[in-house]
Amino acid sequence: MYENFVEKYRAKSYSELIGQDKAIADVQQFLKDFPKKKALILHGSAGTGKTSLAWAAAIENNFEVLELNASDLRNRQKLEQIVRPASIQKSLFKQSKVILMDEVDGITGTDLGGIPELERIIEITRFPIIMTCNDVWQSKLAPLRSKSKLVEMKPLNTATITEILRRIAEKENINRDMGFFTKIAIKSQGDLRAAINDLQSYANEENLFVDTSEKRDVEESIFIILRKLFKERNDFLDLFDSTKMSLDEIFLWIEENIPIEYKNEALVKAYYALGKADVFRGRIYRDQSWRFLVYQNIFQSAGISYSKPSPLYGFTKYEAPKRVLKIWLHNQKTAKKKTIAKKYARFVHCSVKRIMRDFDLLKPIINNPEVQKQLHLSSEEIEFLNAHKS
Amino acid sequence: MVHSEIWTEKYRPSKFEDLVGQQEIVRRTKSLVQALNIPHFLFAGPAGTGKSTLALIIVKELFGDSWKENYLELNASDERGIDVIRQKVKDFARTKAIKNVPFKVIFLDEADALTREAQQALRRTMENYTNTCRFILSCNYSSKILEPIQSRCVIFRFKLLEKKDISEIVRRVAHLEGLTISADAYDAIYEASEGDCRRAINLLQATASVSLNVNAEMINMIAASGKPVGIRVVLDYALAGDFINSRNKLLDVMLKESISGSDVIKAIQKEIWNLPIEPEIKVKLTEKTGEVEFRMIEGSDEFVQLQSLLASFVLAGQGKAV
Repeated sequence: MYENFVEKYRAKSYSELIGQDKAIADVQQFLKDFPKKKALILHGSAGTGKTSLAWAAAIENNFEVLELNASDLRNRQKLEQIVRPASIQKSLFKQSKVILMDEVDGITGTDLGGIPELERIIEITRFPIIMTCNDVWQSKLAPLRSKSKLVEMKPLNTATITEILRRIAEKENINRDMGFFTKIAIKSQGDLRAAINDLQSYANEENLFVDTSEKRDVEESIFIILRKLFKERNDFLDLFDSTKMSLDEIFLWIEENIPIEYKNEALVKAYYALGKADVFRGRIYRDQSWRFLVYQNIFQSAGISYSKPSPLYGFTKYEAPKRVLKIWLHNQKTAKKKTIAKKYARFVHCSVKRIMRDFDLLKPIINNPEVQKQLHLSSEEIEFLNAHKS
Repeated sequence: MVHSEIWTEKYRPSKFEDLVGQQEIVRRTKSLVQALNIPHFLFAGPAGTGKSTLALIIVKELFGDSWKENYLELNASDERGIDVIRQKVKDFARTKAIKNVPFKVIFLDEADALTREAQQALRRTMENYTNTCRFILSCNYSSKILEPIQSRCVIFRFKLLEKKDISEIVRRVAHLEGLTISADAYDAIYEASEGDCRRAINLLQATASVSLNVNAEMINMIAASGKPVGIRVVLDYALAGDFINSRNKLLDVMLKESISGSDVIKAIQKEIWNLPIEPEIKVKLTEKTGEVEFRMIEGSDEFVQLQSLLASFVLAGQGKAV
């Protein structure tokens, strides 16, 4: 009987998940601390074990699982009907449950209102929510990001994958030498699922030829795209079709690297074009006028390329975008500031925004223990204030 | 008076008579309240001029001790979407007041931050629940409130407090708190407050937490520590041609001071005139700034628009037209 190896050998417990000890510990801690944080996002490239880890966590803790993945329609109405009640009602068969929203980056245009509804569910849920996605830094996931604990799953190294392949081969009576497993492991680029699939399909192949150009490495292709865009002068209307990266993500890469490549007039022109691309993107977001996507695309490609009067030469080292990460780290660091500002704002009939802006001036006032008592500041919040006494 | 160690609350007036400044507005609202003839109000004016305070006084006069049950305060700048109007406002407006006053009061602070859709929803709500509910809206600029909403309200325009008003308030608070205030400190507080009473009192309390003897030097020091710094540094980097440091600094400033892109653009627009560049270029940069501010409203990513403005400053630093 034909049986898919990937499903057959899917890890069902923590001990079967190899090379992800850090992520396992993080997930276990999250479940222990619940409801301190109500949701968790497992992110990482394909085949690193995100879904397996979510299931393993449920099995280890004897939780029921409610899973919705990209094959299900996940618009607002659907989530309201299925997930919202499930997030409040007790589990029928087990002592608790976990809600698994697989591939949240797959919640797309047709799933209208899906993300905002998910946000609301996170607020009210009585059970832990685990989400998985490849790229957690996409702008559409920003609202979920701020409400969730983030756990990254790193691609497995070649040695680990080789070892896993060897064990499966042993059980399946596939007699191949270690060189064969290593080749498959290298080809997989850290994607265990791809490796296991390859093992199954190449098991009886005489000569395994590994074509290195077959590697699908997103990092590499964005560098090629940037090099073309910044060095050459061309229309580049189809340039972004060659990558799986979203237009928003490419936008951030371009933004990060414009000043590394362009100076003076070219710098101004390039940012003018990128700014125009953003204006169209704003209109798309606001009115859902997807028609404007072509304009965003053109300003983001041809607009950038033609910003310079002539082609550029030489090697440039491009940087990965840092802004989104920087903002996120900052917000993590100052989350307490915001909760303090909220309490204070309510008390003095003022907006949180204004209090955040005047926070430094107000600090000596909030440092007064009497005031802290009156605002019902938590011990963590007081600790934050003490640590940031200027 | 509320007992609190936060002076802006401790000394917030709770009677019409205690209010300083805005005399004409106080006189008219008082007579309307006494006649129990309250229309919808729109209070327009800068921050810290008494809009929230007057709203609170109105409800306290109307409902006495039970004011909290008959009053809903929402800050639109924190909850600006249509959901707020559809849910919170409607739920509250639907039910009748508990006291012998025939209506409740909703105070919608910073209503100019409401989205257009939310304002449209508000317009209908104001009409439908006119029997059970009165609205007091506050805003900085009445022009940002939809015309049909304005026409349903009696509009009062609050002015910045004058120096004598701020000084009077400072004198009262200082007296009750047992502070000694030097004559020049009054000037310093007024200058730093820019006519914003909340800021004046906060400044006084922050300074008093250091010393009970308050003078101008201390006020200026505390005021400077609470002032958003850094925009000038951002521009200086750009003018010197160091774009990358300029934008890194900009992100730091925005995160650290928690200021939005539109705050930044306002600061840049003001700062242009203090920069060591040719006046013609200043005019050009101002034009560019205006254009970027406009794009910011249309676009989705303020930071990208700001970078495009900084790029122009790089050219300006070389004396080139932008």
